[in-house]
Amino acid sequence: MSTTNATTPGPAAAPLRWLMRNPIWGFVLIIFVFFSLATDHFFDIRNFQNIMVQTSTIGLIALGMTLVMINGNIDLSVGATLALAAAFAVDVQSWAMFATWGNWQIFPAVCAALLVGIALGALNGFIVWKTGVDAFIVTLGAMLGIRGLVFVYTGESSFYAMNFAYSDFSALSIGPLPVLALIFLACTLAVHLLLSRTVHGRNAYAVGGNREAAINAGIRVGPHMMVNFMIIGFLAALSGVLLSTQMGAATPNLGRDYELWVITAVVLGGTKLTGGKGDIIGTFGGVLAIGILRNGMNLMQVPAFYVYVILGSILIAVLFLDKQFNRRTQGGLRL
Amino acid sequence: MSRRITSLLATSAAIALAGAANADTVRIGITQNNVGIDSYQTTYERAFIEAADANDDVEVIVLDAGGDVARQISQMQDLIQQQVDAIIIWPTDGQALVPAVRNAHRAGIPVVVTNSNIAEAGLEFIAAFSGPNNIQQGIYSAEMMCEALDGEGQIVQVTGMPGYTTAIERQQGFDDRLAELCPDVVQLDIQPGDWNRERAQRTMETFLTRFDNIDGVYSGDDNMGVGALNAAIDAGRAEGMVFIGATNFAVGYDAMARGEYWGSVYQSPVDDARAALQTALDVLAGEDVPLLNYFDTPKITQDNMDEFDRPVF
Amino acid sequence: MLLTRLKAGGPAIAKQGILVAFILFMIVFSLASDRFLSMDNVMSVLRQSAIIGVMALGVTVVVIGGNLDLSVGSMLSFATVLVVDLHDKIGPEMAIPVMVFATLCLGAINGFLIGFLRLNSLIVTLGMLSAIQGLVLIYSGGQNVDIVDQSGTWFRFFGRGAILGIATPIIIFALLALIIHVVMSMTPFGRKVYAVGGNPTASVFSGIPRSRVVFATYLISALCVAVAAIILGSRVMGSQNNVGQGYELQVLAAVILGGTSLLGGSGSIIRTVLGVLMLAFIQNGLILMGQPYYTQWLVTWAVIIIAVWLDVAAKRGRLFSPIA
Repeated sequence: MSTTNATTPGPAAAPLRWLMRNPIWGFVLIIFVFFSLATDHFFDIRNFQNIMVQTSTIGLIALGMTLVMINGNIDLSVGATLALAAAFAVDVQSWAMFATWGNWQIFPAVCAALLVGIALGALNGFIVWKTGVDAFIVTLGAMLGIRGLVFVYTGESSFYAMNFAYSDFSALSIGPLPVLALIFLACTLAVHLLLSRTVHGRNAYAVGGNREAAINAGIRVGPHMMVNFMIIGFLAALSGVLLSTQMGAATPNLGRDYELWVITAVVLGGTKLTGGKGDIIGTFGGVLAIGILRNGMNLMQVPAFYVYVILGSILIAVLFLDKQFNRRTQGGLRL
Repeated sequence: MSRRITSLLATSAAIALAGAANADTVRIGITQNNVGIDSYQTTYERAFIEAADANDDVEVIVLDAGGDVARQISQMQDLIQQQVDAIIIWPTDGQALVPAVRNAHRAGIPVVVTNSNIAEAGLEFIAAFSGPNNIQQGIYSAEMMCEALDGEGQIVQVTGMPGYTTAIERQQGFDDRLAELCPDVVQLDIQPGDWNRERAQRTMETFLTRFDNIDGVYSGDDNMGVGALNAAIDAGRAEGMVFIGATNFAVGYDAMARGEYWGSVYQSPVDDARAALQTALDVLAGEDVPLLNYFDTPKITQDNMDEFDRPVF
Repeated sequence: MLLTRLKAGGPAIAKQGILVAFILFMIVFSLASDRFLSMDNVMSVLRQSAIIGVMALGVTVVVIGGNLDLSVGSMLSFATVLVVDLHDKIGPEMAIPVMVFATLCLGAINGFLIGFLRLNSLIVTLGMLSAIQGLVLIYSGGQNVDIVDQSGTWFRFFGRGAILGIATPIIIFALLALIIHVVMSMTPFGRKVYAVGGNPTASVFSGIPRSRVVFATYLISALCVAVAAIILGSRVMGSQNNVGQGYELQVLAAVILGGTSLLGGSGSIIRTVLGVLMLAFIQNGLILMGQPYYTQWLVTWAVIIIAVWLDVAAKRGRLFSPIA
C-alpha cells in the first residue's frame, strides 16, 4: 500500500502515510473535532468515559470478529451468544448452591457465562471445520438457534440480580478510567499482540489469504479456525457479562442486531470480508467511530429517524473511500 | 418533518449559544422506548414535543433507544453527563434499567418513569411514575371478554413482541383475571404477533386451521387485533367471533364502528405524553407528587364509543 | 455408513437432500397433526409463504450472481408504506407504478454501488438496510398508514382475492417463480448471471459485461420486493414502518436452504421455492403441534446446517471436510 502515496519522504509524511493506510482514524479525528465544536457537552472527560464504556460492548465482540474475518469467516451468532451469556451470568448467582457465598456467588456465575460463550464458539467452529459449510450459513443458523435457547432458558422474561454489588461493579473506576473501559482496552491490547506478535496471528493471515497455501505450509486450518471461533465466543460472552453488570439484569432480546453493528465497525476499520487483511488498530478506530457518532448525535439531538440514514450512508461512504485509497485491492465482491 | 428539524436545530443552537443564560428554564431529557415501531409511540413523541414547545420555560432533549436496552443505558449516561434538571424515561425493560435509574438518582437528577413502569427494585430511585397501567388494561380486556362470551367459550391470544415488558404485562393481567373471573373460558393457545398486523394475521390463520371453534380473540393491541379480524373475515369465520384488544387504535375504532370488533381499552398517547411532562415539572417545582400516577384507561366498546374521539394513531 | 452410501449411488439422492428432508418433514408433521395436510392448511401456508417467497426469488438471482442483498427487508417496509399511503392519495392505479419506480431506484443504487463501483455487497446492503429504514420513518413520520375503504378497492385483489379458488398471492408467486426460472435457465441473460457469479474474472475475459449483469440482478431483486409489497399491502390493507424488519434473514435462510451457494455461480429458482415452502411448513407444523414459537428457531438451526451440509458433502463426494 505504501507505494501509492510515498511521494515526499520527510518527517511530516510518516503520520500522513499512516493515516492514508488507516483512513478510519482520519475519520475519527474529523468527527471528534466536529462534535467538539458543534456541541457543548462533547469535549469533556466524563463524556469520554461514557463513550469508552458505551463502545466496550460492541468493541469486545469486534476484536473477535476481526480474527474470524481475517480467517475469511464471519460470525453472525454473536448477538444471541451475548444474550445467553448474560442470562447465565445473572441467573447462576441466584442458584441455591451459591446462596451462602455472599458476593463470591458472582464468580461461578461469570465463569459459567464465559464457558457458555466458549462452548458455543467451539460448536460453531467445529461445524465449520468438519462440514466445510460456509461460516456465514453456519452462524446464520446459530443466530436463530441460540436466540431460541435464550427464550427456552429465560422463559421469555428478564432475569435480574438481587445483589447490587453486581451492578455496582460497572460503576467502578481506576483513576480516570472506568473498569469496563479498562477491560476493553486490556482485551484490545491482548488481541492486538496475539495478532501481530504470535504464530497464531501470522497463521490467521495465512489461512485467510490463501487457504491452499496455508494447508501446504502445514497449518492445521480446521483447529486454527475453531480457536478463533472460541475466542469470539469468549469475547461475546464477556461483553454480555459486562453489559449485564450495567443493567443488573439480562433480557431475552439483548444483543439483537449487534452482529450487524460489529461487522460494520470491523469493516470500517479496514478488515476485508475476503480474509487475509485487517488489524486491531483499524478495528479499534471503527469501533470508536461508531461510538463517537452515536454519542455525538445524541448530544446534538439528531432525530432518531435521521440517525439511521446517516449511519447507513457513512458506512457506504467509508467503504467507497477505502476503495479509492486502496485501488490495488480487487475482487472485493466475493464473500 | 422539515419544520421539526429546523426547530430542533434551532434549539440545539440555542443551547450551544445561550448555555445556562436563562436560569428559569428547566432542561428535561427524555429517552423513549422505540419511536416508529408503532403509531402510539410516534404520536407520543410528537405530543411531548408540542407540549414542551408550548411552555417557554422548558427545554427538552428528545432521545429514542430504538428498543435496545444498552442504547437506552448509554442515553441515560449521556443525559446525566449533560446535567439535565430531570430525566423522563420510557423503559425498554423494567428490570434492566434499574441501575441506570439508580445512577441518575445518585447524581441528584430526579427521574420520572413514563408509560411502562420500572421494576419494584427501582421504585425507590424514581421521583414518580406516570402512565397507563398495562396490567390493568389486560384485566379490563379479560372482563370484557367474559362479558362478551357470557362466561363460557374458547379463545386464543395474540401477544406483542416476546420478551418486552409491555407485552408480558398485558398478557399477565389478562390471563390472571380471566382465570379468576370466568374459569369456563378456555384459552386454546397463545402465540406472538410481534405488534405487527401482518404477523398477527398469519398467527390467526394458523389458529383458524388448528381449531374448529374459536369464540374470541384477545390481542395485545388493536393493530394486531385487526390483523386477526382480517384473517377471520377471509376464512369466512368472523361472524359471531369476539375481538378484543388491550389498546385502541384507529383501525380498531373503525372496525368497532362497522360492528366487527367488540371492544378495546382507550389509551391516549397525547394524555400520556402531557402527563409525563407535567409530572416532571411538578417534581421540579417541589410539589408533593404521588409515586404512582396511573391515568385512567377506560373500556371502549361498540356501545360507548361515541363518547370517545377516534384515536389519531 | 452414510459416507459409503454417499460415495456409491448416493450423490443423486443427496443432491436432492432438500427434497428428501422436505418430504420427511411433511410425513412427520402429518402424523403429528391430522390437520397439517388438510386443504385449508396447505392453502393457508402457501398463501402466507408468498411474500417471503417472491422476495426469495429475487435474492436467489442476486446470490447466483455472487452477491448478497440484506436490504430487502427495509425495502419491503419502504415499498409497502409507499403503496398503501399513496393508495388513498392518488388511487391504486397511480400508486402502484410510482411505488415500483421508487423501489427500482433503490435497487439501482444497490446495483450501481455493487455492480459498477465494485463495493462489497454485504456492507453496501447492510448500509442500505439502515438508510432505507430511516427513509421510511422520515416519509411516514413514524405513523402507521391505512387504506380507509378496505372493501371497495380493487387493490384488495392482490392479497385477498382468488382465481378459481386459488388465492391470488399463490398464483403471483407461482407465475413469478416460473418466469424467473425460465429467465435464469433458458436465456442468455441467465447464463451470464451464472457465469459472473461462478468466475467473475473469466466472465470479463469472455466479454460478459459484468457490471451491467450485477446491476440487473439488483433491479430484479427490487422488482420482486415491489411485487411482495403489493401482496403485503393488499393483504393487510395498511402498513407499519418496520413491517419488513427481519425478513432479509428469513429470505436468506430460505435461499440457503434451497442449496444456492453463497459463493455464487450455482443455485436454482425451483429449489429456492422448496426452501421457502420448507421453512413455512416447519413453522406452521410446529405451531399446529402446539409447540411454543421459539421451537421453530431451534429446528431451523438444525435443518439449515444439516441440509446445506448434505448438499456440500454430495458435491465433494465425502461427508466430512478434508481440511485438517
